[in-house]
Amino acid sequence: MSTSGMKTSAGGGFSPSRISIVGIGNVLLGDDGFGPLAIEMFRCLYECEARVEILDLGTPGLDLAPYLYDTDLVVIADAVHPPQGEEPGTLFVYCEDDLGSSQAQLRLTSHDPGVQESLAQLRLAGHAPSEVIVVGVVPESCGLGKGVSLSVLNTCVVAVDTIARLLMERSVDCRARRDPVPRDLWWLSGSA
Amino acid sequence: MARISIDPITRIEGHLRIDVEVDGGKVQKAWASCTMWRGLETILRGRDAREGWVFAQRFCGVCTTVHAIASVRAVEDALQLEIPANAQYIRNLILIAHALHDHIVHFYQLSALDWVDITAIPKADPARAASIAEGYSTWPGNSRRELEAVQNKVKGLIGSGQLGIFAHGYWGHPAMHLSPELNLILFAHYLQALEFQRKSCQVVGILGGKTPHIQNLAVGGVMNAINLNSLATFNMDRLGILQSLLQDLIPFVQQAFFVDTCLLAASYPEWFHYGRGVANYLAVPDLPTDAKATHFDLPGGLIMDGNLASVQSIINWRDEAFRAAVAEDVTHAWYRGEGAQTPWKGETDPNYTDFHEDGKYTWVKAPRYNGSPIQVGPLANVLVGNASGHPLTRKWTDTAFKTIASVHGLKVAPDDLQSTMGRYLARGIRSAMLSDLALQHWQLLADNILKGDDTTYYPPQFPSHECEGVGMHEAPRGALSHWVIVDKGAFSNYQAVVPTTWNASPRDEKGVPGPYETSLIANPVVDPAKPLEVLRTVHSFDPCMACACHTLDVSGREIAQVKVL
Repeated sequence: MSTSGMKTSAGGGFSPSRISIVGIGNVLLGDDGFGPLAIEMFRCLYECEARVEILDLGTPGLDLAPYLYDTDLVVIADAVHPPQGEEPGTLFVYCEDDLGSSQAQLRLTSHDPGVQESLAQLRLAGHAPSEVIVVGVVPESCGLGKGVSLSVLNTCVVAVDTIARLLMERSVDCRARRDPVPRDLWWLSGSA
Repeated sequence: MARISIDPITRIEGHLRIDVEVDGGKVQKAWASCTMWRGLETILRGRDAREGWVFAQRFCGVCTTVHAIASVRAVEDALQLEIPANAQYIRNLILIAHALHDHIVHFYQLSALDWVDITAIPKADPARAASIAEGYSTWPGNSRRELEAVQNKVKGLIGSGQLGIFAHGYWGHPAMHLSPELNLILFAHYLQALEFQRKSCQVVGILGGKTPHIQNLAVGGVMNAINLNSLATFNMDRLGILQSLLQDLIPFVQQAFFVDTCLLAASYPEWFHYGRGVANYLAVPDLPTDAKATHFDLPGGLIMDGNLASVQSIINWRDEAFRAAVAEDVTHAWYRGEGAQTPWKGETDPNYTDFHEDGKYTWVKAPRYNGSPIQVGPLANVLVGNASGHPLTRKWTDTAFKTIASVHGLKVAPDDLQSTMGRYLARGIRSAMLSDLALQHWQLLADNILKGDDTTYYPPQFPSHECEGVGMHEAPRGALSHWVIVDKGAFSNYQAVVPTTWNASPRDEKGVPGPYETSLIANPVVDPAKPLEVLRTVHSFDPCMACACHTLDVSGREIAQVKVL
């Protein structure tokens, strides 16, 4: 973490007609940090057109709504708990209908009320995203500690390519970088 | 005698269990239990004190900026480091925007549905609703057309038979008695609120570089580069965008949200008689108006035993009485240790025993102020302001009382605010105050920059000896303090005494219960199977358990999921 001078920008998430790649989870709680890790790896490995924004939203609960307001496409990377105990590290891709359906009985981690309730409110208010996709991984351990387990880390690479494929399938300009940009995984650095 | 255990309480942030014993339609005893472990502070031990804030803002996904700023203030206090005026104003604007966002989400998304019956909305007459709303407010979102559109959405939702996230509400409960028109007005604002949550986030994003995790802080100030002649920095354009966002926010806060809290209060006058609870109130000074933080736009103080005629002022952040008074007790919390400890010596050594109402029953510690439990939050903020003769607090409190009286002639006095409804109303009053202060602090920043001051940061110097500090912030849920010990530039101890810890406190070693627990005594419960009235009082505190404790069960088992109402 450097404290060098910062350029002031308008901040993430507020340009018109946009596509958001959102990481959800707490980086300080083991595999719960999958979302922020996946989107940071995506940022380093892929280059997208300007209307694509990459947002680490942490564990926003209901505060998720303002970030999804009037978006076109949202891809959410998050830890998920599917109904039948799947192996840690298993990757799932869900569309919005899966989130509320009784068939999936999908439980995201402790912030799941935020995802579903925020989307439902935006839908009713007429400002919901056109399409929502969740790229989820089954966590091994969400205990206090920094960094994800090996099974989740391995899946992260697949998840990143999956996000890219989902974008390309929707004709979003997204290509692998020739030279990856350096990663900023500040929560894995330093002592303690 | 009926025993009700509500686990989890829904529409809050985090996990909270409330147990009550009900006899004769009233609560006789109550226990508040947080079912998640808190331990994030241990991550900060040994870490560079300059970057503690980056980790602290991950304590809670909702109050990110709140913990970030309390953390840098704690280190600056330990170093006795002054920060530039620009840094104070930029931080203040971030705090104001975040607080407005938070209060709007609480009133509409987290608690309105305890009072507003969605299933009554189809019966409303939109023209009559528009004329009622226009009688109290100039808000353009109250037009007949707008209200009709919202009513049609609700009709569609109910007609589909799929209420979705609203499926589990206590609809038709006998304690719900707003007119169909008021139900419609408040629910219309519930939907409109989303746009203003977004604008608040935009303010934080412009100033903080990113949101919800701001990037612009530093021990010693902020990292915003100010240069009126450069496009890449904080310049006149950015100031202009900020001003117009704030000007967009103010009408919603003052004409919709504030008025709604008054209409709710006028419609549910009985709730001024329930939920008084612990009548000791603490607010810390905030929104400094000068670099040295000697003057504040929100006064701090302590009120004891509900005596609103007497306030012990907390003049500034170096208040010695505050430092000596705060201690945390773990007699009834799942931690090892005996007696109350100052947070500087506080430890977080878990000792889980299961729920024992006479023993240990929660992950929340019991903070005490000179041995007494304390209530914090917008109500404490507003009571301290009124008792201190603070003009802005008095202005909006009087406006609220007048608006309420104009509905059915209900006369409300400051003493009535010590109640469940008082906590809702105080949040509306505080938000109206903050929306006035938003433009004032924008002006302070603009004037200072135009004067030619572009300083935003003084580099910290760390002594070779150990030093201790406190970082205070009057956060949306009340007085927050981060207590740090810094040794050669690194933290050797770190404890956060958060607002929800004060309010959700369990009993202490003398058996004295905390504010949630006390406020529930004599709370009505008409139908033990549908304890809506318990939710009203608990939600009035705006519980946020996410930082009061944390998302980990010590046994390693996944905790029951929150079900969405």
